[in-house]
Amino acid sequence: MQQTQLIRSSTFLWALAVAASFALFVVALFAFIYWKLDAYLVARSDRMITTQIHFVAELSPARRVSAIADHLAQDSRGVQYAGLFDPAGKRLAGNIDRVPRELGLDGAAQGVRLDLLEKPTAHGPVVRAVGSRLEGGDVLVMGRNVDETREISSVVGQALALGLLPAFSLCLLAGAWLSLRAQRRVEEVNQRVQRIVAGELRERLPEGGTDDPFARLARIVNGMLDEMETMINALAGVGNDIAHDLRTPLTRVRLALERGRTHAATLEQLQDVADKAIAGIDQSLAIVTALLRLTEIENNRRMAGFGDVALDEILREVCDVYEPIAEDKHVGLGVVTECNVQVWGDRDLLFEAVANLVDNAIKFTPSGGRVDLALQAEDETALVRVSDTGPGISEQEREAVLRRFYRSDKMRNTPGVGLGLSLVAAIVKLHGFRLIIGPAPGGRIEILAWTGSAGRPIARRSRALLHADAGQMG
Amino acid sequence: MTRILLIEDDTETAEAILAELGDRGFEVQWAGNGVEGLARARASSPDAMIVDRMLPGVDGLTVIEVLRKEQVRTPVLVLSALGAVNDRVRGLRMGGDDYLTKPFALIELVARIEALLRRPSDSRETILHVGPLELDLIERTARRGERRLDLLPREFRLLEYMMRRSDQLLTRAMLLEEVWNYKFVPATTNLIDVHMGRLRHKVDGSGETQLIHNVRGSGFVLRSR
Repeated sequence: MQQTQLIRSSTFLWALAVAASFALFVVALFAFIYWKLDAYLVARSDRMITTQIHFVAELSPARRVSAIADHLAQDSRGVQYAGLFDPAGKRLAGNIDRVPRELGLDGAAQGVRLDLLEKPTAHGPVVRAVGSRLEGGDVLVMGRNVDETREISSVVGQALALGLLPAFSLCLLAGAWLSLRAQRRVEEVNQRVQRIVAGELRERLPEGGTDDPFARLARIVNGMLDEMETMINALAGVGNDIAHDLRTPLTRVRLALERGRTHAATLEQLQDVADKAIAGIDQSLAIVTALLRLTEIENNRRMAGFGDVALDEILREVCDVYEPIAEDKHVGLGVVTECNVQVWGDRDLLFEAVANLVDNAIKFTPSGGRVDLALQAEDETALVRVSDTGPGISEQEREAVLRRFYRSDKMRNTPGVGLGLSLVAAIVKLHGFRLIIGPAPGGRIEILAWTGSAGRPIARRSRALLHADAGQMG
Repeated sequence: MTRILLIEDDTETAEAILAELGDRGFEVQWAGNGVEGLARARASSPDAMIVDRMLPGVDGLTVIEVLRKEQVRTPVLVLSALGAVNDRVRGLRMGGDDYLTKPFALIELVARIEALLRRPSDSRETILHVGPLELDLIERTARRGERRLDLLPREFRLLEYMMRRSDQLLTRAMLLEEVWNYKFVPATTNLIDVHMGRLRHKVDGSGETQLIHNVRGSGFVLRSR
């Protein structure tokens, strides 16, 4: 099973293909070298016999015979052939029996079959020969055995074949090794993933120190796992927070009902108890409603409700709604906006965000203070700023306030569900805007929005960058 | 007697609604599922219907859709545990006239049913009268008897809404949705009360009969008498 898997693995098959093409290439190279070498050797012997035949032909007839004899005597390997024949074709000197019929005289060298005096082998050797008719009618033939080129070729071929075999094996081995390594890594990843699936959220894929694609992929997946772990932990935290926050009003309800059941003597007293219980349950329901709303916004990836929204109108409207509430609390509420600032977004959600910010600001500003709403527009951005003279948000609290249910200790007794800023953050995220929390003292929260043509593509693109943007607060 | 058809599969919820509406003098029929509800709606043509959105068999929205296709114009209040804005929009688009998210206060349900049964007076009227109050929608002026009321635009809209529904209980949620056009519950719970306090201060002067009444725990009524 393991072996067939190895053979079927794509890495191994690739290695096999590479090895095969390498072998083909080597064979082709060998053929080319052989062809070139052969041509070179033939051309060299042709040049040699042509020079020799000219040399012998230049000599006087008397010295030719001894020159041929010398020439043949010097050839210890027996690859040189020469023959001098009279006009009738009778041999005068040399080791060639007779003039080969197919040899053209006074031409270029050509391959012929020579009849030799003593036959060294069963079949006549392949010979390059050249013939020349001398003055006086004699015929001179000189030749050279080119069998040695075949021999050289076969030696080279053998050497190549001997080299090719280990190379091919090496290729296969490398393929098998790579494929095994890949398989092992996949198996390791699989095991870790199984552990993650089983609930071990801290498990990560092996990255290794290298920069190969496997390691990079592992790093990407690990990054994703980091995100998901954070999210899952956050969700678990939310579960705890909900449980905790719901407990407080429910405890009150329970105590009121329990005491009322034993101690209420009149209908009025019982109604009083029931009213308290209903108020407590309503508070619990408000938490559930706010939480569902937050989930609704966070999960709302569709931008069905998006259109051109006039931010200045929203600010004026929010101011209009909250003006009496601020006045009741003796908090001044002012708004300064520029005209006609359009952004691409969901009108109701943006209204909700600004209203939440103002609501919070008024809630946390002591009486006698001020809350100011401002809208500044520049080339491509619009800045909505809600500032107040309240305590503001300290450095340590900045991240915490955006978490669900966070309420700073000093404000434990202030009514409110504690989801306000998380809602604002979720809405801002959905739009691809940025939420900026200014330093204390004095509350200052800004929403940086994109206006005009820049708004739409950014809103769309930023969906992928939601998390990154939310991380850049302050 | 006003007849109401309730289509709701949860027995306890249905019994509570039946009892409350019975106390208020309504004659209520109850159907436990969509098919039965549809049959009853066709047979008895009630004055108003309360339809739970999630029903076994045929769901609530389908019941409403079928009835609307049969040209039945009975006002319908949709009950649902789905409270998201999208769910609400869908419920209203399918032919519901109002949408109430579970859990709800019984008083809220009654107020909304009464609002559905007494559709606001002719909207073509340009001058509204309720008791000593007079509201000129074209001139944008308001007076109580001889006294001119100096109202802000938001207060004017609030008074107009209340005058069209005089002697009806208007809950905070109804006012938030209809007058303030809120799609969410504001963190400040007394938002409506503060605005209403302002309006009441202007409408009911010292020594005058009180017209705007606070109904404890539930909402406000503009009484004509």
